[in-house]
Amino acid sequence: MRLARKDPILESTRNPFLELDIPSDVGISYLDNAATSYPKPAEVYDFMDMVYRKAGVNPGRSGFDLCREAGDLIDETRGILCSLFGGTDPNRLVFGHNATDALNLAIFGLIGPGDHVVTTQLEHNSVVRPLWTLQEDERVEVDWIEFGAAGFVDPEAIVERLRANTKAVVMNHASNVLGTVQDVAAVGEVCRERGIHLIVDVSQTAGKIPARMDDLAADVICFTGHKSLMGPMGTGGLYVREGVEIRKTRAGGTGVRSAERRHLDEYPYRLEFGTHNLIGIAGLNAGVRWVEGIGMEAIHAQEMTLWQALRDGLSGIDGVTLYCQDARRPADRIAVLSFNVSGFEAADVGTMLDVDSGIACRTGLHCAPMVHEALGTDELHGSVRLSLGPYNTPEQIDRTIEAVREIAELGASRRST
Amino acid sequence: MAVLKLEGRTLKLSDEGYLVKPKKWDEDVACEMARVAEGLAELTDEHWAVIRYIRRHFVAHKRAPLIRALCEETDLSLKRIYQLFPSGPAKGACKIAGLPRPDGCV
Repeated sequence: MRLARKDPILESTRNPFLELDIPSDVGISYLDNAATSYPKPAEVYDFMDMVYRKAGVNPGRSGFDLCREAGDLIDETRGILCSLFGGTDPNRLVFGHNATDALNLAIFGLIGPGDHVVTTQLEHNSVVRPLWTLQEDERVEVDWIEFGAAGFVDPEAIVERLRANTKAVVMNHASNVLGTVQDVAAVGEVCRERGIHLIVDVSQTAGKIPARMDDLAADVICFTGHKSLMGPMGTGGLYVREGVEIRKTRAGGTGVRSAERRHLDEYPYRLEFGTHNLIGIAGLNAGVRWVEGIGMEAIHAQEMTLWQALRDGLSGIDGVTLYCQDARRPADRIAVLSFNVSGFEAADVGTMLDVDSGIACRTGLHCAPMVHEALGTDELHGSVRLSLGPYNTPEQIDRTIEAVREIAELGASRRST
Repeated sequence: MAVLKLEGRTLKLSDEGYLVKPKKWDEDVACEMARVAEGLAELTDEHWAVIRYIRRHFVAHKRAPLIRALCEETDLSLKRIYQLFPSGPAKGACKIAGLPRPDGCV
C-alpha cells in the first residue's frame, strides 16, 4: 500500500471555522465523508486504543470487574445514542454492524408475505435490495415513489399510495447522492394515525442535523456510526419505539439467561446476537461525545458554508452539470453535491481529481441505482459526488473548484476536436 | 468477433476491442490499434512512454499499473494522458499496449 501521501492543497493544519486541528497524517483532501467520515477526531482514535488495551475483554459476559466495566461502556453508549435520537428507553437502542444490518433487521422483522410497502426512488441499496428481495420472494408489494426535479419526495405522493394492507413506509432522511433532506415528519404523522410502521434511514443525517424519533414520528430509526457520528466502521444500529416488536430473524448468544433455548424477547437482546463490537462502540461513544461537544449545529453550519461555496463555484463552470443542488433551500440540505463534467465519465473525473490534485471523492452509482436512473445519469455511469465533513477547509474547496475547472476545460477541448 | 488486420496478420479482439491474446502484441500492433481505436495517426514520444511503461508493468506483474504510478513513472499528469489518449488510460492506453480489459486500477 502506498499510504504516505501529502495533501498538495492543505497549507494549514487548522480548520478556521471550528478551530479543529487537522491530523498531520491525512495525506489527501478528503471529500468523501458521505461514504465515511475521515479523519476521525483524535479523541476517537485515542479512546479506542485505550479501551482495547486496558479493557479489551468480552463486555458483560463474565463476572469480573473489568468485564462489567466494559459492559458499562456499551450501556453508556446506548444511553448517549438513545438520548441523541430522542428515545425514552436505552434498551431499545440496539447495536448492529452498520445501517444496512439495522435496516435488514427492521425490514425483514416487520414486513412479511401479503404486506404492502411504500418507499422512494431515493433509497440506498440498503433499503432497495431488502425490499426488492421481499417483492420477488415473499409476495410483498412495493411502491417506489419518484422524487421531484429538486430532489425531494412529495409526502403527499407517499400518503396517496397507502392502503389498508400497507405495513410500512421505508425512507431515508437525506439522500446519499443529492443531499436533499426529506420531509419525513409529514409522512410519519399520517403513518402514526393509520398504524403503519415508519422506518427511517438516518445514515446521512445522524450527527449532522437532528434526527429524533418524535420529530420524525418514526417507529424505527436505523443509523450508522461511521459517518457524521464520527465513530469507526462496523458500528451502527437502530432505535425501536415502544410498542413496536420487531420479529427476530436471527438467534444466538446474549450473555444472559444462557439456559433458555429460545432467543430472548426483550430489547436489546431481542435484536443483538453474539459478542458486541466493543472497540467500535467505544469509538462511537467518543465520536458522539465529540460531536456533541462541538455542536451538531456548528458543524452543519460550517459544512453548508463550504457547500455553498462549492456549489457556486462549480455551477459557474461550462460543461459542469449539477444534480438537484438548489441553493434556495439550504435548510433542507446536507453538504453532499453530485455533478458530471461533459466529455468524461464520472470515474474519469474522480481519477483525475485523485491523481492530479489529491482530492478524494466517490464516483459511480453510490449504491443508489434508482436515483441515477431517475436523473438519467445511469447512462453516464453515475456522477461525481463530493461530500463534506468537519475537517474540510475553504482552501480545499477553492482548489477543488479549480481542479474541476481544469478538467472541464480539457473536456471542452476534447469535444471540439 | 472483431479483428485487427496488419500486413500478413489478423489478430482477434474482444467485443470491447482489447487484444484477445496479449502475447501477440508488438509495436506495429500498437500503431494499428492507436489508429483504429483512438484515431491517432502518429504516436509521439509521450505516447510511447505511457505505452511502454504499461507494457513493461503488465509483462512483469500480469496486470495494469495503478494510475498514480503511471503518472509518476512517466512524469505526466493524468489530464495530459487524457489529452494523449482520448479514451483515457484504461480504455485507450492499455488497449494500445495490448492488455486485456483492466479491472479497477488503470
